[in-house]
Amino acid sequence: MSGIKTTVADKILLSICILLSFYSFAYVKQAMPKGTDVRIEVDGKLKYTFPLSKDRTVEFSGVIGMTTVEIKGGKVRIKEAPCPNRVCIHQGWIDKGALVCLPNKVIVTISRPDDYKAPDAVSG
Amino acid sequence: MKKFPASDSLWSGRREDQYRIAILASYALALHGFEALIPAPIPWLRLGLSNIITVITLFFYGIKPALMVTMIRIVLGSLLLGTFLGPAFFLSLSGGLAGTLSMCIAMTLFPGLFGPLGISLIGAFFHNIAQLFTAYVLFVRKIEAILVVLPFLAAAGTVTGAFNGIAANYLIQEIKKKQVTGKG
Repeated sequence: MSGIKTTVADKILLSICILLSFYSFAYVKQAMPKGTDVRIEVDGKLKYTFPLSKDRTVEFSGVIGMTTVEIKGGKVRIKEAPCPNRVCIHQGWIDKGALVCLPNKVIVTISRPDDYKAPDAVSG
Repeated sequence: MKKFPASDSLWSGRREDQYRIAILASYALALHGFEALIPAPIPWLRLGLSNIITVITLFFYGIKPALMVTMIRIVLGSLLLGTFLGPAFFLSLSGGLAGTLSMCIAMTLFPGLFGPLGISLIGAFFHNIAQLFTAYVLFVRKIEAILVVLPFLAAAGTVTGAFNGIAANYLIQEIKKKQVTGKG
């Protein structure tokens, strides 16, 4: 049979497509716009909202004691906390997601003012 | 690749060519309708089974019939499913046209380089790009939303494009066998 069958170019193209698919996952993950606001909640109540872009250190009282949160270079960490196991401090610097200090009931989240809405469309 | 006679006069239309287009379009339409019955895990994900027919038409009859089959399938399909001129229709139209056109261009620019598998992958890729673009321009207007969906569509397009291409390849081989032996 001449002409129509799977060619070498097909296989190369398929490999490229598979690689591109994997790459796009990685690319989109790091290209996604990051959060801009640091929200600090104590005992379920919003206590502070700071822009992530401005360096600062803030000290406030959590449920069991004084807590220090540091914002620096677009990242945030819990610097000091009175909790026994220091899980929150060991989380280190983050630029997305959240830091949680359970005994102290302190939650530090990085969010955006307009939270992302999932697309809702159908295709035929 | 040897084409069937008179494939260029399909618009003006020899009667048997018109019959061929009608039959192929109805195959595509049937697959299109069948696919709409399958629940999609994510609203954007579709198998694009009717693209099998487009690929077969493209390989046997050339560009114009493939475009015609696609247009008939999209318009009639949306009328049957009740999505005519709705959001899904424009997504389907842009995707279908871009997919078919890209396959036609690939066939014209690199004749014989790609088989059905490669052509189907190219079609699936541009189908998704066009749909994302249409979705962005007409509906979503949020680049983050598009970015989130993009990797899933790229992966899905690769899988469905490869599946459809392999199916089209198999069918094309079978049809050719029948033609050689003079049956069918």
